[in-house]
Amino acid sequence: MSEAVERIVVVGGGSAGWLAAGVIAAGHQSGAPGAAQVTVVESPDVRTIGVGEGTWPSMRDTLRRIGVSETEFIRDCDASFKQGSKFVGWVTGGNDDQYFHPFALPQGYTEADLVAQWQAGHADIPFADLVSYQPHLCRLGRAPKQIATPEFAAVANYAYHLDAGKFGEFLREHCTTRLGVRHVVDHVTGIVPSDSGDIAALETKGHGRIEGDLFVDCTGFASLLLGGHYQVPFVSRQDVLFNDSALAVQVPYADERSPIESQTIGTAQDCGWIWDIGLPTRRGIGHVYSSAHTTDEQAEQSLRRYVAATAGAAAAAAMSPRKLGFRPGHRAEFWHRNCVAVGIAAGFIEPLEASALALIELSAAMISDQLPATRGEMDLVARRFNESFAYRWERIVDFLKLHYVLTCRRGSDYWRDNCEPATIPERLRELLVYWRHHPPSRYDLPRVDEIFPSASYQYVLYGMGFRPQSSVCARLPGDAERAEGFFRESAALTRRLLAGLPENRVLLEQIGRHGMQRI
Amino acid sequence: MTKHVLLNNVEHKDLRVITRRAAQYGDDVMCALTFPAEFRSVQAHYPIFFRKAADSGQFQPFAMLGFRDGENLFLDEQGWDATYLPMTVERQPFLIGFQSGAAGAGAERQMVVLVDLDSPRISQTEGERVFLEYGGVSEYLQRVNSVLGAIHAGIESTPPFVAALLELDLLESFALDMRLADGTDHRVAGFYTINEERLAALDGAQLERLNRAGHLLPVFMVVASLSNIRALIERKNRRLGA
Repeated sequence: MSEAVERIVVVGGGSAGWLAAGVIAAGHQSGAPGAAQVTVVESPDVRTIGVGEGTWPSMRDTLRRIGVSETEFIRDCDASFKQGSKFVGWVTGGNDDQYFHPFALPQGYTEADLVAQWQAGHADIPFADLVSYQPHLCRLGRAPKQIATPEFAAVANYAYHLDAGKFGEFLREHCTTRLGVRHVVDHVTGIVPSDSGDIAALETKGHGRIEGDLFVDCTGFASLLLGGHYQVPFVSRQDVLFNDSALAVQVPYADERSPIESQTIGTAQDCGWIWDIGLPTRRGIGHVYSSAHTTDEQAEQSLRRYVAATAGAAAAAAMSPRKLGFRPGHRAEFWHRNCVAVGIAAGFIEPLEASALALIELSAAMISDQLPATRGEMDLVARRFNESFAYRWERIVDFLKLHYVLTCRRGSDYWRDNCEPATIPERLRELLVYWRHHPPSRYDLPRVDEIFPSASYQYVLYGMGFRPQSSVCARLPGDAERAEGFFRESAALTRRLLAGLPENRVLLEQIGRHGMQRI
Repeated sequence: MTKHVLLNNVEHKDLRVITRRAAQYGDDVMCALTFPAEFRSVQAHYPIFFRKAADSGQFQPFAMLGFRDGENLFLDEQGWDATYLPMTVERQPFLIGFQSGAAGAGAERQMVVLVDLDSPRISQTEGERVFLEYGGVSEYLQRVNSVLGAIHAGIESTPPFVAALLELDLLESFALDMRLADGTDHRVAGFYTINEERLAALDGAQLERLNRAGHLLPVFMVVASLSNIRALIERKNRRLGA
């Protein structure tokens, strides 16, 4: 085994494998003489999942980083714009029960005590509606930019909804034709260890041994290298987040002019929730639920009711959902010896806040940025990586749990159990006490690249009906006026953006016809 | 409002067009669409910039006449204070339309001249006669026809020109910051111009390709046109002082 880390072998295609390959290859000019070589070994009969998937705004940076055109990405991946999430029925399940978690930060965030002034002067208005223009754009199905806005630039902060299967193919094409990534289509039949205990090579059916210095395990639920070969234990988080099953369907639009929603819609059900993701050509809908609390049949009935209510009885009758079972949780460590897992091979949790692709991006970026030059450095990088992603998984679990613990729904064991203190991570329990007198802030989430910013905690916390108690401490002089100024700014911005931004479908058609400019 | 009709020498035999330049005739515009073949004439008087069309995001070149909407610093009581009028200004109130050929006679689209009868330039009593007494084409209309023809050809040549600029990364966004004579600061944004550093770095093969396609001369005309920004600011300052 050579001491230098020059051969990076990504095992498995899909979004995880090709994103990891793309980010590493783009960061290290893979394919150039003397540069690290990235190889993707992909099984010939990969099962593309093909459900609609949501991302975080970080995806814009990731795509730019690997050098793709946003126009081509949108055309080829059946992508649409996502400006956040709308949660329906999570608080009471009543008719008007919904709140927004937009991607845009509150206007004047951290520059005034917006939360205190919201409570003092505007307690009748939903928090997100007062501090952000974005819920208003979402209600009217507006796009986050204009055709004249350059690629990847935003008027209103945005991410994407995309077809994950097409996304994998799109990235594969870009990686192999532009980034010098070697693509081997073959079955992995064995793993060849070195004397030291590292992985020396993969044994394949048709290509013999494929040697490598670093192996990136993107084999999904199989977790072939990290879980299979190294037996790194799996840490279940089902004691906190109960959902372990999903039923997914694709639902056509009523016609090709039907509006495309600006946000993921998550609608609470008796024993789980339903995602609804609007792509340009169809909607991806699925029911995530807890098998301990309901049956597949009951879940399918809920899903059918939802589809009937939002797409008509014919669509509900025609649907044949695909079942997906999963264990919510992650590996005890993510980088072991010369093997690092990215994507589902590292862990998987319900898709409530689209953390899956965001975690892949963060993993790929850290591997690329800190790529050890030699095997000797690798253990240090692995330790950092494990520490960093253990922290991130804790924050994801906390943040997703936050969506459940404040509910007033008591109609099923599912919601009652979710509020049981024993199911709430200790750190979240402490924060919920602290947040009675302080809004979530960077002090609660001190890392530079937190996966969810403190503003997201505010949107969900107050969206779920949590009301802070008035603080005993006096506010800074002039703070109330400053906050009021930001509320007016947000309202003015709302009017201006509503006047200038087209509907999603209009913009997507313009992009299809003219493309976006790079500048 | 506009009302475009096909120009003909029967209905419009007495039509006259006021060619004076004034705000009341719609000349109060901050920029006028132009095209590469016109850059040589335009750059002698006006800065040339690129802007994105609102409905397509595609870059289009403009002659800059002022710094904000509705401001044309070349307009004064005497008319238009420059010896060259951008053709898209000069053409008013005429424009080009297309008509299918006569039924059965092939589907060739024919270029026709339309006139906007709601334009304030339209008159029966003053201005240039469009048709001669017995229906012949006036010298004025001949000139209009040639202007319309040049605009049509020019606008068709713009997309390949812009594509060549984008391919070589020659466009860059540009914001104009200026302090006027009255001490106020202004910023004009949303414009694009030629990146001269990139232009200077083009290699022989790239320059040759640009030149063979006829794009090189207009590129340098855009660069040269920027000297007119100072003169345009001077016009603005004179107005503030007046």
